[in-house]
Amino acid sequence: MAALWRGEKRWVVPLTAVCFVLGGLLAVQVRTQRMRGATQVGRQTSALGWLLTDARGQLEKQKEETERLRARVAEYEEEAASEKGLMGLMRDELRNGRIALGLLPVEGPGVELVLDDSTMRGSGEITAQDFFVIHNTDLLQVANELCAAEAEAVSLNGHRLVADSAITCSARLIKVDGVAVSPPFVFLAIGNKENLVSALNIRGGLLDQLRLLQFQVKLTPKDEVVVPAVAIGPVFEYARPVSKEEET
Amino acid sequence: MIALPLVALLVGFFIIYPLSPEIGPSWSQYTAIAVVAGFDALVGALRSRLEHRFDEAVFISGFFANMVLAALLAYFGDRIGVDLYLAVVVALGIRIFTNLGRVRSLLITSRLESRRAGSGAV
Repeated sequence: MAALWRGEKRWVVPLTAVCFVLGGLLAVQVRTQRMRGATQVGRQTSALGWLLTDARGQLEKQKEETERLRARVAEYEEEAASEKGLMGLMRDELRNGRIALGLLPVEGPGVELVLDDSTMRGSGEITAQDFFVIHNTDLLQVANELCAAEAEAVSLNGHRLVADSAITCSARLIKVDGVAVSPPFVFLAIGNKENLVSALNIRGGLLDQLRLLQFQVKLTPKDEVVVPAVAIGPVFEYARPVSKEEET
Repeated sequence: MIALPLVALLVGFFIIYPLSPEIGPSWSQYTAIAVVAGFDALVGALRSRLEHRFDEAVFISGFFANMVLAALLAYFGDRIGVDLYLAVVVALGIRIFTNLGRVRSLLITSRLESRRAGSGAV
């Protein structure tokens, strides 16, 4: 053994020691990397799973409640319709308000816009793929563009977009008012067809940029578009009308 | 003899691995770069041994100093917002490949020489 310290073979001991240290470091590194992957994806997914089932249950309940309330409103309206004059006027007012709030499904001429992820593929890392998928910000931009072009009613994948709608992204999942949607994203908008098409197709605009990156963009003007009502009407917990005294 | 360091590498790995050491994700990239520096030193040692210039003092000091320096450089880069991390990886990567190439050619040369010597004897 002493021969290892001297002569031709003296490289063995330091090399062995160093290799030992390196092996240990490597283990730390591999372990950490694996833990990172496991915690980030594993824990998140299971937590999200629970959240999702929870949210779905609540959604079902709330939908039932909405149906019930809607039926009742329809009853009232029918009663009201039988009377003339002021009542009729109020009913029209109510109807307009409800269209604006998205409480009624509406139809009319408009456009259909279908957006899907790019056919290009990012190489290697997951982050590279980020350039080629549709993000919630893209959808927000489209919705904004449609509203700017005076679309009167807009829906995304069957979800009516109204004043308090939110298109969010959490854990790579795009949600419209808390409900997950996945590509292809279908926008339906009612409004002036020509205006809507030209607003969306504006040179250097979002659709132009998306087409450049080979996203699948299909924009078709339609004579008849049906935009559904919101699943859940607005609930006002904090906001209340300003009373007359405070106003002055 | 070459088996001993390899065994040590595996032993080191399998002793530490089950202990499930975990360091913060912000630090793991510094250990990562230290590992790369360690490999560089290892390959460098292999080359210098084949060239009969191996010196254990140089090797051991180089191994630890390079590891620490590489990690420090990456850390410093992070502090000032420059990706010095990449510079270290590229520099070490190039060195590892050059040294490996040199090792390969040295091995082939020595094999050719021994074959020639063998055939000459016949």
